Amino acid sequence: MTVAKPGAIIPSSAAPLRTLTAVMAVMCFLAVLAVGAMELINRAVAQWASGLASEVTVQLPQLSTRDMDKDLTALTQVIAGIEGVKGVTILDRAEGEKLLAPWIGTEGLDALPIPRLIRVVVDDKRQPDFLVMEQTLQEAVPTARLDTHRRWEAELRRMASTLTWLSSLILVLISLSAVAMVIFASRAVLEANRETVDVLHIAGADDGFIAGEINRRFIATGLWAGLIGLAAGMAMFFVLGHWDVAENNGVASAARALFYLPQEKDWSSLAWFLLVPVGATVIALVTSRITLRRMLREVR
Amino acid sequence: MLQLDAVGLRYGDGPEVLRDVSFRLAPGQFAFLTGASGAGKTSLLRLLFLALKPTRGRIDMFGEDVLSLRRKTLPALRRRIGVVFQDFRLLDHLSTFDNVALPLRIQGQRPEVYGPDVESLLQWVGLGDKLHAMPSVLSGGEKQRAAIARAVISKPDILLADEPTGNVDKALAQRLLHLFAQLNKQGTTVLFATHDESLLRQIKAPVFHLEEGRLLTP
Repeated sequence: MTVAKPGAIIPSSAAPLRTLTAVMAVMCFLAVLAVGAMELINRAVAQWASGLASEVTVQLPQLSTRDMDKDLTALTQVIAGIEGVKGVTILDRAEGEKLLAPWIGTEGLDALPIPRLIRVVVDDKRQPDFLVMEQTLQEAVPTARLDTHRRWEAELRRMASTLTWLSSLILVLISLSAVAMVIFASRAVLEANRETVDVLHIAGADDGFIAGEINRRFIATGLWAGLIGLAAGMAMFFVLGHWDVAENNGVASAARALFYLPQEKDWSSLAWFLLVPVGATVIALVTSRITLRRMLREVR
Repeated sequence: MLQLDAVGLRYGDGPEVLRDVSFRLAPGQFAFLTGASGAGKTSLLRLLFLALKPTRGRIDMFGEDVLSLRRKTLPALRRRIGVVFQDFRLLDHLSTFDNVALPLRIQGQRPEVYGPDVESLLQWVGLGDKLHAMPSVLSGGEKQRAAIARAVISKPDILLADEPTGNVDKALAQRLLHLFAQLNKQGTTVLFATHDESLLRQIKAPVFHLEEGRLLTP
């Protein structure tokens, strides 16, 4: 006798989970967007922070009592001699005005005592002691001020941290919604298959066997929903990244960056995306199993 | 094998549907359970296949006090009980073969192992040519024979039949009854519930008669 593969005890037609698949796919899509946004923020902040950490600025206010050119030359010489400094550039007045233009415009700047700036590139792996550096600069020119951008860097990191928390909160809410959906669906499937469950119980099936038979459908649902959501989310980032290439749109270039590994090839950042289908499958599996076993326990 | 002492059963706060039911079934015995509709036959059988707990009294089955059983020990005990229902309770999405094989699948047996047993049992009950037929295309008698095959495939110690001839004609009812008698001859204890008085005369066996939830002495 040829042994045919036995039919499913709970067939897909007896446990229609199309609605759950659709809703969970949407949730997974939103989860991918949240993970992507988190990833974009972290990458951008890491990039900005590294730029800030490798550069400091020395400000020299215009005072009628000081000789600006003499002070600039003196400072440049002092700075160049400090250990950990890789480069010194004096920004001319036009460059300083350009920096201020976004805030005060370009009109009437000639009359303003705009401070002169010295850009100092430092070795970010072997940074100089900035307290000692500022002291040294002020010994040479008492009116010199050192701006290490630490305040901006701290603000950036605080903003990134807040947004990361927000994204994590969104992920938690999405997960909780998915859990609620799976609970409702598990109850509905069990109710719809009450007669089959009775027959299984009478034939000597334990709760684990029955839950396992129904569970298979939920595992497939979670996995499919996760993969659909991941594909849709990545497609969304791809379209976003390639929509407006010519304009060099910030969001577009950030989205585009998601598809290219950073130089240090940090695969872990991409692994977060793969966690979405894995998470959806685990939520479907664990939630439906616990729900089913609880419900089955109520039946003698 | 099976002993009931002063068993009572009520659903919720309703009246008792079984009152002071006491009887004993010895291993290998065949017995009828009879009574009018609503006399409590189905309720009594539900107690015996462990779907309900008695509200009072004591049921000993295979040497175990049913009332003191923990829930997780029930499946092992249920595997020693075969049940046949009037409405067959076949799973419509499974073939006749898969329906009959269900108890063995539940016990974790592989199709290669149980396949020959299921096939030969289906041959024995006269469904050898319906192995892959779905229940929807079987006649009432064929469905009942498939249900009987499912109930006995795992060689239970006791076979409980709740009006198994209720949905078939008289001739087929007698053939089904003889099928139960043959199973009994092979060692299975059988409790056959029916309200069909004509069947009681077919086999010489004790008759437990239920009337308004009370068992009249056989």
